[in-house]
Amino acid sequence: MANAIEITNYSWAYAHGNGKALKAVNLSVEQGECVGVIGPNGAGKTTLAYSIDGLVPGQYHGIKEGTVQIQGREVEDYPKGMLQREVGLVFSDPEAQFTAMTVEDELVFGLENLGLDIPEIRERLDWVAELTGLGPLLQKPPYEISGGQKQRVALAAVLAMRPRVLVLDEPTSMLDPLSRKRVFEVLGQLRKVQNTTLILIEHGLEHVVPLADRMVLLAEGEIALDAPTPSFFEKLDLLHHHGLHVPGAVEVVSRLKNSGRYFGELPRGVEDARLVIQEIIDASSTKQGAV
Amino acid sequence: MNKTLLGYVPEHSPIYSVHPFVKLFFLLVVSLFPMFISAPEWNVGLMLGIMLLMIYSRVSLRTLKMYIPVAISMGIIILLSYTLLGGVQPQYQQITRVLGVSIYWERLRDALVVYFRVVPMILSMVFFLSTSRERDLIVAMRTIRIPFVVTYVFAMALRAAGMVLEDFHIVRQAEQARGFDATGKSIPYKIRKYVMYMIPLFALSLRRTEEFTNALVARGYAFAGEGARVKRADFVLTHYHFSVMDGLYTTVIVLLFAAILVARYGFQRLTVEDSYFLNWLYSIIVSAA
Repeated sequence: MANAIEITNYSWAYAHGNGKALKAVNLSVEQGECVGVIGPNGAGKTTLAYSIDGLVPGQYHGIKEGTVQIQGREVEDYPKGMLQREVGLVFSDPEAQFTAMTVEDELVFGLENLGLDIPEIRERLDWVAELTGLGPLLQKPPYEISGGQKQRVALAAVLAMRPRVLVLDEPTSMLDPLSRKRVFEVLGQLRKVQNTTLILIEHGLEHVVPLADRMVLLAEGEIALDAPTPSFFEKLDLLHHHGLHVPGAVEVVSRLKNSGRYFGELPRGVEDARLVIQEIIDASSTKQGAV
Repeated sequence: MNKTLLGYVPEHSPIYSVHPFVKLFFLLVVSLFPMFISAPEWNVGLMLGIMLLMIYSRVSLRTLKMYIPVAISMGIIILLSYTLLGGVQPQYQQITRVLGVSIYWERLRDALVVYFRVVPMILSMVFFLSTSRERDLIVAMRTIRIPFVVTYVFAMALRAAGMVLEDFHIVRQAEQARGFDATGKSIPYKIRKYVMYMIPLFALSLRRTEEFTNALVARGYAFAGEGARVKRADFVLTHYHFSVMDGLYTTVIVLLFAAILVARYGFQRLTVEDSYFLNWLYSIIVSAA
């Protein structure tokens, strides 16, 4: 079976841009896998997201080299409007994706485009409104609600379409910590229940790390590092070189590992880190006791 | 309060039970009534009728205040165009001369007829905009099976207007924050400096267009090809039910329109000759002259 996403030697240069936005990118993502993409501003993260959803080259002029395949088919080979049944894209600016007059219309717009019937639309609308807590806002215009609520609407509108591949370009930048945690819980649940492939582009890594199987560092249009999440953060110098903030708990254990005091996998969160540090302390006490 | 295109209507209003199609039908047909009524008193009656509907719908009549200066300036412009700028018409009855220009009764009468035709048309539009949201317009159009793409483009035009105003506000605040403020300056100065608002506004509009197109594509909308052939379920219509009362309202509007046409062309009523008000005015002005 083909990979959900197969990007091979892919380069893209915008017609009016300075040089290539993406350079010889190779990326394979299996169905159900979650890949976190990080990188400094201007690294090409959004271009990568647009490329997976077919907006590049569909909506932009430029030069493409290499291939971008979704479910084994080149993005340009999909008939218009069909690739988006496979791939859902949540934009970083939620307001940029609003196309309707009320939150409810916004949530059902994509479902109508899929050609679903009324009972199916109603079922999905209720499901996604419950999932994202948007029930009380359904009749409000999407451009009159708060930033966090807008982001939830943007996410819900795409979730309702239940794509097999979900690309999220900084989907929680406007959310408070609690809502952010909730969004990632929802994503984790989606992945578990529907085997959705997730591409998470995020600056805040605290919530991405526990969810992502793999992490990709994109810098100046190139993949600077692609590794399973536990070993990704062992390259602290490279991450710091690109100005990236590594979650504190992960960084502490990574430093301990680099100094030869720990040999296991890096933790994915604060609780994991606490257990690892406890293990190191216990091992150290035992050693001292033996001496 | 619920926001409408022109303001707010209280949470509870009888207008919410009316199907959006009836409201649009009211606008399209009732605003045609004055075209077939020349007697001003009938058009004044129509205005009163619309105002009663506004009161019944709990629309604040304060909405109308902002139109008073417009109504006055429009009246003056119409009056001047028909009288002072009406030209020499020897076949008409001259009632006086102002600044060497003849003022004719027929031109004055026509000015009044036109003015009292335009005002109820505007009032019916105000009533519609005060009681409808953007969504109502879309629902009304989809009810009568206007193609999705047409209603969608229309809806987007409505939304774009709001967005341009929002952007204008943002650009203006940004300019003010950097020390540029045209408040209190002369009009020629403001016009000259307006370019400072227009350029960023134009750039923002271009960006919005790009974002909007991307959003449509990303949500699986296609203007052509396989994606465009999908049969769309109009989910929004499931919230609206065309009731017996809606049918009754529509019938009343149609019957009223038919009655006006019959009265006008069948019985030669509602004409200037048939107008009590114009006959009374004629007797006063022309007799005095």
